[in-house]
Amino acid sequence: MSFDLEDLRRTAPLLLLSAAGLVLLLLEAFSRVRLIGRHYHKKLPPETSEAYAVPLAGSRTYLMPLTVLFLAAALGLVVWLWPEAAEPHYLYRRMLVLDRFGLLLSGVCITAAAIGALGAPAYLREQRMEFGEYYALLLLSLAGMVMLVSAADLVSLLLGVETMSLGAYVLTGSWRRSPRSSEAAMKYFLMGAFVSAILLYGIALIYGSTGTTELAEVRAHLSEMRSAPVFYLGMFFLLAGLAFKIAAVPFHMWAPDVYEGAPTPVTGFMMAAVKTAAFGGLIRLCVGGLTSGRVPEVSTGPTGWVNVLFVLSALSMTLGNLAALRQENIKRLLAYSSIAHAGYLLVGVVALGVVGDAARAPLIYYLLGYAVTVVGAMAVVAALAMGPGQERLPIEQWAGLGQRHPAMALAMTLFLLSLGGFPPTAGFFGKFYLFRAALQNPSLLLLVLLAIVNSLVSVYYYLRIVTAMYFRTPQEEEVEGHVPAAQGALRLAVLLAALLVLGLGVWPGWAATVAEAAKLAG
Amino acid sequence: MSWILTLTTFLPLLGALVCLLLPREEVGLLRGVGLSVALLTFLFSLGILSGFNGQTAGFLHEVDLPWVQALGIRYHLGVDGISLWLVLLTTFLMPVVMLSSWSAIADKVREFTVAALVLETGMIGGFLALDLFLFYVFFEVMLIPMYFIIGVWGGERRLYAAIKFVLYTMVGSLLLLVAILYLYVKVHQATGTWSFAYADMQRLVLSEREQLYCFAAFALAFCIKVPLFPLHTWLPDAHVEAPTAGSVILASVLLKYGTYGLLRFALPLFPHAVAEVGPLLAALSLAGIIYGSLVAYAQRDIKKLIAYSSVAHMGIVVLGLLMLNTKAVNGAIYQMLAHGISTGALFLCVGVLYERRHTRRMEEFGGLWAQMPVFAGFFLIFTLASVGLPGLCGFVGEFLVLAGTMSAGRTAFADVPLFGKAHLYAALAATGVVLGAVYMLWMFQRVMLGPNENPKNRKLRDLTLREGMVLTPMAVMAFWLGLYPATFLRDMNPAVHRTLVAFKEKYSAGAADAEPRMLGQDKNKKEEGQPPAKQDKEEGQPPAQQPAQPPAASPPGTGATP
Repeated sequence: MSFDLEDLRRTAPLLLLSAAGLVLLLLEAFSRVRLIGRHYHKKLPPETSEAYAVPLAGSRTYLMPLTVLFLAAALGLVVWLWPEAAEPHYLYRRMLVLDRFGLLLSGVCITAAAIGALGAPAYLREQRMEFGEYYALLLLSLAGMVMLVSAADLVSLLLGVETMSLGAYVLTGSWRRSPRSSEAAMKYFLMGAFVSAILLYGIALIYGSTGTTELAEVRAHLSEMRSAPVFYLGMFFLLAGLAFKIAAVPFHMWAPDVYEGAPTPVTGFMMAAVKTAAFGGLIRLCVGGLTSGRVPEVSTGPTGWVNVLFVLSALSMTLGNLAALRQENIKRLLAYSSIAHAGYLLVGVVALGVVGDAARAPLIYYLLGYAVTVVGAMAVVAALAMGPGQERLPIEQWAGLGQRHPAMALAMTLFLLSLGGFPPTAGFFGKFYLFRAALQNPSLLLLVLLAIVNSLVSVYYYLRIVTAMYFRTPQEEEVEGHVPAAQGALRLAVLLAALLVLGLGVWPGWAATVAEAAKLAG
Repeated sequence: MSWILTLTTFLPLLGALVCLLLPREEVGLLRGVGLSVALLTFLFSLGILSGFNGQTAGFLHEVDLPWVQALGIRYHLGVDGISLWLVLLTTFLMPVVMLSSWSAIADKVREFTVAALVLETGMIGGFLALDLFLFYVFFEVMLIPMYFIIGVWGGERRLYAAIKFVLYTMVGSLLLLVAILYLYVKVHQATGTWSFAYADMQRLVLSEREQLYCFAAFALAFCIKVPLFPLHTWLPDAHVEAPTAGSVILASVLLKYGTYGLLRFALPLFPHAVAEVGPLLAALSLAGIIYGSLVAYAQRDIKKLIAYSSVAHMGIVVLGLLMLNTKAVNGAIYQMLAHGISTGALFLCVGVLYERRHTRRMEEFGGLWAQMPVFAGFFLIFTLASVGLPGLCGFVGEFLVLAGTMSAGRTAFADVPLFGKAHLYAALAATGVVLGAVYMLWMFQRVMLGPNENPKNRKLRDLTLREGMVLTPMAVMAFWLGLYPATFLRDMNPAVHRTLVAFKEKYSAGAADAEPRMLGQDKNKKEEGQPPAKQDKEEGQPPAQQPAQPPAASPPGTGATP
């Protein structure tokens, strides 16, 4: 029952992120004095200055580099703790656990957030929505993710989910002048609040039947729960809550609207980091709390979580892909594709329950590959915006980009090929690695086949964008003389993501080795 | 010399990267770099020939390095008599293609050069890969550049054709991936090590049911690529819409991936499944031969006619492979090379016409002989080569396949129903060859002979020097393949023989009952010690008598098995 300094040291990334978030919040508060808004929108054409006539603080350009610096430091701390985490350490009265699995997923979230943050200022400035809280919220949300992926207790799991989501709700609505953004935030928040209640209810039911909220303890009590309806009800509630966060069908209704309405860098952040962290929480729950060799009914029994996730997986990939086929808006298309990818990832979680630990490394690899790919794709979408309030969203507006912005088009092609699973990209190896693990048990053959058929379907709509960029001639109505915000840091973000996608695909060995080493506690 | 394969494979990719860095306005420079890289690759690829002496049955110049150690994925390249000539065909064609697109591709030259060179890396690597994962990667890498070549520089319906091409190929290749993964897991079950090595997969024995499913996936992937009769519908679209360069590469090399994949992977890995579904495939290939010929006869578009003739010619190749005797299989590979040269050259000729008249409809032409005598001469050579006139490339392959099919009943597995009807197969295939002569000569007549009535054709220029330089090497190869087949058969024969012996050995070892096992494992013998004598008796007479090969059944380069 001690609370020692070691615990603080071992949660250094979490503490750093929280502290950094608060520092940025304060900096933002005290630098508001220097408003240059009026000067700023003099440059705008008259009709837009009307719509965007708000005080703008364009002077705080140091916030982004500072954020990236903090994120790099957090990543450094993750690396620093890595050797120590070979053995799991329980912290804060077994609320959190320091193990390599949690560290690695934290690292993935931080990396995705850092790449996203690099690209954000150019976009935010262009969309006239620059405000400092953006970075503070990003960091605080990340702190929630770190907590979520290192949760050893249902309470800290819930805390992580809530902290993560609060940041995401506000970020979604941060584009104040866009009704879509406000609508998305409202939808996301209402649904999210509902889901929090469901999660909490689930936790209560589990606590009621097992007498504990600690995951390891829950697992120890599983043998008494073989046929306890209350326990199963609690489990289903928890699964439903987390399925909402990963946007799995049928808990996906919010995803297309939210992903479409949110500012583009936020969309990237949510698709990559929020999804990774939520999967981390799901794996913690399923493997850490609900899998026991002695009581297989809870995992692989007819009402076990494996079957539940099996169905969610099949539904997510099929419906996600089918819906994506019909999308004309690139953000909506990628939103549905993200639902489909949640389905592929669930194949991995199902495999974790059926073939055991062999599916862990592929899952982590897939999460990493998917995270860098979507962050990159969203950075490209952000980079190609054509002016305030004019994002390049309908696919027909992507016509001819191969000529107009060859580098961006090439990068986007790479990201889309990775999403579609073409070698030699991270997406291909991720799928291969995941399916290899799943195929070790013949009962998953059907799910893998379904996933493969779905990948085929997905190729069609990913290539639609490539087709538009390269095979069609550009439209004439494009704003003459407008230089897209694709400059400096945003270009760097796209380049980084592209190099990672390619590097992970051509030399997957190192990432696979690291993922193999990222053991789960317990 | 183990670096030679790596160098040949990745030199084009290096060239592609160089081209990416060049400014896109420097069109001449880009074309020059593209051509020189392709030429250089061809020169280096000739180095692969060293070491082949007519006796080598196994793989040469092997490289075997770990790629992803944890998963047993290896960078394993090697070349034998089967892949040797296909690689050389690829590297030989690429400079020709580059030169032929000198003026045809005027738009986005940088992108074209990059796509073509990346494609070349994929094509060469695929023929050389001896690790199934590596093979799959190269197989897929080919897809995207070809998609761009059709979609960006293609004709009017290029979007449709490009997406159709990709989706058709993806259906097969994703199933192929599942089957490869399945084999990989089974190898692990049987040996305890993770391996994608071709040698390990070949030693793996599965139950008949498993073989059937895996063979179905492999065969579907490759038969789409061939394309075998009911799966061919993407081909005419892709060919007609693709630019000349794309059609040539598609016909000459990419289609060969189908038959190469059948011969290298699908047949030897699943002998029991082949015995079971072989008759079906043979029937489909016959249907393809006849149907392809008839449909070709009905075409008005020259390019479409040649596309359908490909369906027929590739049907002959598949038939030859299924006969499983040295003669027919040699003939099938030979026909692959011959088809690569003659059909590729015919597409180049159509490209020459199209650049002048921007149409490919036969009724627009006629009587070009007088107007373009040199061109007509070349066109005649390639038409006759495609028909299979003795002395030209098409004859040897077709003859060997037909002869091999005739004798199939007396060789190999007389008990398998497939070979009971071998005479009928041969007769039907021969009909297809006759039909081939009909539509090709009819096409030649419509385009080249008769009076030159269309006023638009009165001022057509004969071949330019560049076009002559494009067609001459093709014509030389058409004659070489036709007049002196020994050059090619010498090194092909031992490899084919070895593949068939391995096939028969695996077949006679029987399918696994439930658990997968490795060939040779249960006999407590190193695979080196397998006496091939018993199988040799059943083996048909190879055209050139080979001494019995001691390591005939041993998989080469067991580097991947620790």
